[in-house]
Amino acid sequence: MTEWLEWARGPAFVFSFTLMILGLARNFLLTMWGVFRALLRAGDKKVPWKNVFSASFSWVFPVKKLKERVWYSLASILFHVGLIIVPVFLIEHVALWRRGLGISWPTIAQSLADGLTILTIAMIIALLVGRLSTRSARALTRPQDIVLLMLIALPFLSGFLAAHPALNPFNYQATMLVHVLSGNLVMCLIPFTKLCHAVVLPLTQTVAEVGWHFPPNAGRQVRISLGKEIDAV
Amino acid sequence: MASNYSYYVEDFDHRSRPRRFLEAFAAILQYSNYRFVLDTYARTSTKCARCSVTCPVYQSTEDPGDIPCFRSELLLRVYKRYFTVKGAVLSALGSGYTLSDDDIDEMAERFYRCTACRRCKMACPMGIDHGLMTHLGRWILSEIGIVPKALVVATREQLVGDTGNTSAIPVPALVDTCEFLEEELVDIFRIPAKFPFDVEDAEYVFFPAVSDFLLEADTLMGNAAVMYATGGSWTIGKGYYDGINYGLFYSDHMLERIVKKEVEELNRLKAKKILIGECGHASRSAKFFVPTFCGGKDAPPVINCMEYALECLENGKLNLKKDTIKERVTYHDPCNIARSGWIVDQPRELLKAFCQDFVEMTPNGKDNYCCGGGGGTVSIDEIRAFRTGPGGQLKARQIRETGAKYVVSPCANCKKQLREVCEDNDLADVEVVGLHDLLIKAIDLPESMLTPEIKEEAV
Repeated sequence: MTEWLEWARGPAFVFSFTLMILGLARNFLLTMWGVFRALLRAGDKKVPWKNVFSASFSWVFPVKKLKERVWYSLASILFHVGLIIVPVFLIEHVALWRRGLGISWPTIAQSLADGLTILTIAMIIALLVGRLSTRSARALTRPQDIVLLMLIALPFLSGFLAAHPALNPFNYQATMLVHVLSGNLVMCLIPFTKLCHAVVLPLTQTVAEVGWHFPPNAGRQVRISLGKEIDAV
Repeated sequence: MASNYSYYVEDFDHRSRPRRFLEAFAAILQYSNYRFVLDTYARTSTKCARCSVTCPVYQSTEDPGDIPCFRSELLLRVYKRYFTVKGAVLSALGSGYTLSDDDIDEMAERFYRCTACRRCKMACPMGIDHGLMTHLGRWILSEIGIVPKALVVATREQLVGDTGNTSAIPVPALVDTCEFLEEELVDIFRIPAKFPFDVEDAEYVFFPAVSDFLLEADTLMGNAAVMYATGGSWTIGKGYYDGINYGLFYSDHMLERIVKKEVEELNRLKAKKILIGECGHASRSAKFFVPTFCGGKDAPPVINCMEYALECLENGKLNLKKDTIKERVTYHDPCNIARSGWIVDQPRELLKAFCQDFVEMTPNGKDNYCCGGGGGTVSIDEIRAFRTGPGGQLKARQIRETGAKYVVSPCANCKKQLREVCEDNDLADVEVVGLHDLLIKAIDLPESMLTPEIKEEAV
C-alpha cells in the first residue's frame, strides 16, 4: 500500500499534473490561434474589444449572471469557488509543493478548507439533482456530465475523510490512495473533456464575436469546390 | 422520396444526401472561418440547459428538440464525428454515430424553428452562439438544396431576376408609387417632401426593405418627411433599391453578393453613405457585412434612419411637437439591431420626444423577445400557425401586458409578424406601426419650408 501511495503521489502525480498543464496550454493556444487565423482571413478586422472584454470578464466572474435558472447558477458558482480555492490553497498541498520544488504561497485556514470542501460536495449534489430533475437539462445530459461531477466529488470526499480520521471508517492509507488517484485522474481528464473550459472560458466571448467575422469570397470558393454554378441562386 | 418539412422547398436531389451534406460542410470549413468556432464549442459545451429558459419557442413547446443547446449539438456532433481526430478515432472504435437522412431532416426542421434571435447566447456561460450555429447549419443545408422556397425565390429575383429586388417591383412602379406618396404627403401631412431618384453626389443612398414600397406607405412618407425637414442630401438609386438580405439567413454566398449590390449602387451614384430604412436585418447585414465584404475599414459607412433622425433631433435640424401622440405607445426591439446590433436607446429618445405615454415591454432592449418571425421565417407563409402560436405567444403576452395602443416596431420583418401575432392572439385593438409612421405626425415644419400651395390651402 505504501509503495502504491508513493507511486500515486510521485510519478503518477508528476505525469498527471504535467499532462494537465501541457494539455490546457494546448487548448488555450489552439483557441487563440483559431481566433488569430480567423482575423487574418476576415474581411473586417475591427473587433469591438471593449465589449468583448467586458462580456468575458462578466462570465469569468459571473456574480451578475443569476437571472436564468437561479438556484442552478448559484450552485454552480459556489461549486467553482470551492473547486478552485481548496486544492490550490490547502495548507497540506502547499507543504507538498514546498517540499518538492521549494515554492510556496499563502494558505487558507483548516476550518475554511473544511467548510469549502463540504460546500463543494453539497453543491455537486445540488448540481446533480438540478440536472436530473429539470426536464430540459435531463434531455441534454450525456453520461460524462454525470460521471465527471461524481469523479470530481471523489478527491474532495476522500480528502475530507483523510483530514478527519475520527470520521473516517476506512484505512487512512487507502483513503489517501483514493484521494491522490482520483485527483490525478481528474487532472488527466481536464484537457480532454469539457473541463478544459478552465482555460478556454476567458476566450469564448472572443470566439463568438470573431466567429461572425467572415472571410470574403468564401461562398464563391465553396461553390467552385462543390462544382456548382457560381452565379446561380 | 418526398420531404415533409413544414415549409415548402424547391425540388432538389434526394440521392446520397448525407454524403453531399458532408462535402458541403467540408468545403465551408475549408474556405470560411467556422472551424475554430466549432472546435471551441465542441470542447467546452457543458450542456447546462441555462439557454432553455431564454428561448421563446422552447418555453412554448417544451419540446427538448427546441432547446438551443440541443439544436446546436445536431451540427456539433456531425462536426465532431467527421471533422476531428477524436471523432475519427472514436468511430474507428465503433462509437456508432453515422449521419443519416433522418438527421438531415431533423436539422432542416430545427434550424427553421429557430429564428436566430440569439437571446440564448446571452445566457450561455460558455458563450456558445447558437444563432451562429443556426446560421451555419442553414448554409450547409442550402448547399444541398434544403432552403425555404420563400427565401430562395425572393433572393433569385433580387440577384438574377429582371427587377433586381426581392418584391419584384419594377422601376416604373417604384417611381409611380413614390409620386403617389409625394401627393399623399402634401394632402395628409402638409409636407412637400420628395423622393429624389438617381441624384448623383448625394450624401446618402437610401435602402429600405423593398417591401415597404408595397406595405409600409406611412413609414416611407415618414422617411421622406424627415429627410425634407432636415435638408438631408439623399437619393434612391434606380439601379438598386432593396435593403433586404436573406443571405444573412441562409447563405454567406448570397449575403456577400447582396451586400455588394448596395455598395455598387453607392459607387454608381458617387454617394458617401448607406442609409437603411426601418429594417432590422437590412441594417445589421449592411452595418456588419459591408465592411466584411467590401473593403474593411475603407468600406462606406452605414447608418440606420433612426440614428439619422436622432442626430438631427439633437443638433436641432429636426423639430418635433411634444406629446403629439396621446395614446399609449410601446416599443419592440428588433433582434438584429438591438441584441445583435447597436440600436437600443436611439428610437426611445425619439419616441419620448413626441409621445405622451411611452411604456416599456418587459423584458426589453438587448434582452427583448423576438417577434417570432426572425431569421427570415416571417416570409414563410405556410408556417404562420407556428410563428404566431409557439413562436409568438410570449410576444403577444408581452404586448398585452403593456396595454399599449401602438406597438412601434422599426423593422419590416417584425411589423408583418407582429400584425399576424396580434390577429391570431386576440389583440385586434393593437396597431403595429413603424417609428416614422408616428414621427411624421409630430414633425414641426417651419413656415419657410412649406410651398405656396400648401400655405394657400391652409388659409
